[in-house]
Amino acid sequence: MIDWLGMAAPPRLPRSELKGLVLGRVRAARWRPWRLAAAALALVALGGGGVWASRTIRALRAERDDLARRAAALGDTLAAFIHSPATRLIQVPVSTGGRVGSVTIFADSVGHRWLVRCDGLAPNAADQAYQLWFITRDGMRSAALMPMETDAPMVTTLDMPRTGGPVLGAAMSIEPRVGSAAPRGPMVFHLVL
Amino acid sequence: MRRLQAHDERALGELFDALAPWVVGVAVRILGDVDEAEEVAGDVFVQVWRRIDQHDASRGPLVPWILSIARNRAVDALRRRRRWWRKAEQWQRGGAGELGVAEPGLALHEAAVPGWPVHRAVHAALARLPEEQRRVVVLAYFEGLTHREIARRLAQPLGTVKTRLRSAQAKLSEALAHVKEWIA
Repeated sequence: MIDWLGMAAPPRLPRSELKGLVLGRVRAARWRPWRLAAAALALVALGGGGVWASRTIRALRAERDDLARRAAALGDTLAAFIHSPATRLIQVPVSTGGRVGSVTIFADSVGHRWLVRCDGLAPNAADQAYQLWFITRDGMRSAALMPMETDAPMVTTLDMPRTGGPVLGAAMSIEPRVGSAAPRGPMVFHLVL
Repeated sequence: MRRLQAHDERALGELFDALAPWVVGVAVRILGDVDEAEEVAGDVFVQVWRRIDQHDASRGPLVPWILSIARNRAVDALRRRRRWWRKAEQWQRGGAGELGVAEPGLALHEAAVPGWPVHRAVHAALARLPEEQRRVVVLAYFEGLTHREIARRLAQPLGTVKTRLRSAQAKLSEALAHVKEWIA
């Protein structure tokens, strides 16, 4: 019975800590699948979170860079427009809702474009809006509808009308929120250039 | 056994207490190095814990199964070593310790070691073998040599080695037939 031959060797007591080491390894092996699963889950979560964060950061950076480029271009355009010798500055004091404000028009006679800035205008009632008008030889033509819901400056650019002859002036009235074909409401200003 | 199969850590602790001296003993006998033998013994008990389901009680008792794991692991470690032949020579020079007689300096008292009667029985069975048969058994079991390697080592024909091993196994089986499992 050769199976028992191992017992022929003299016994030898192992060092005292060996038993603890064996039991420790057994315990560690018992929990290893759970730890592996938990570690794998954590890795997947971290990896997924990392990828998501990386993509989001990259997208936000691209958007920020794009906005910065557009803001710089707009700044350049605005500076060139405002400071051009062909641009005429017209400032009209206005009174709305008991407060005093102003409408500033940068009129570019070469580019046939106006930049209009409104300061200090009272916010509109819910069913009303400010409407800008070009005064032409053929009468008033709607230039822009500018509903104002907050007490803040407002800026808009306007192309000159292609019909009706040269622009002779500008006007602003308070109209229904959907706008009017011709001014019917209270006039904010009426200016002939 | 059932407690081990149910992965009861206390059962493993009890098995360690009962068998570790023998597992370390056989590993020391094969490897000739206590640290390495203890490392093997640690691996053996972890393997027993993991693969206890593979032990078929109908094919044999637990102790020889564990000892065979210890023997195989120790022999594997031995084979991995580059110093294989040097160690073998050291053992050969050891001469008297060839059969693994308990050394007096080990501070192991017979009563303190479970399984001691089995050790004595196995040792006596080996001692009763003729020298040439005992030698091939020791070379095969404790030094992990193949039949061909034993033949080379002893400068004997392969057939002679096989015959001696067969005869030795038959005598050992007869001498140890009464040995039963000694752990609960």
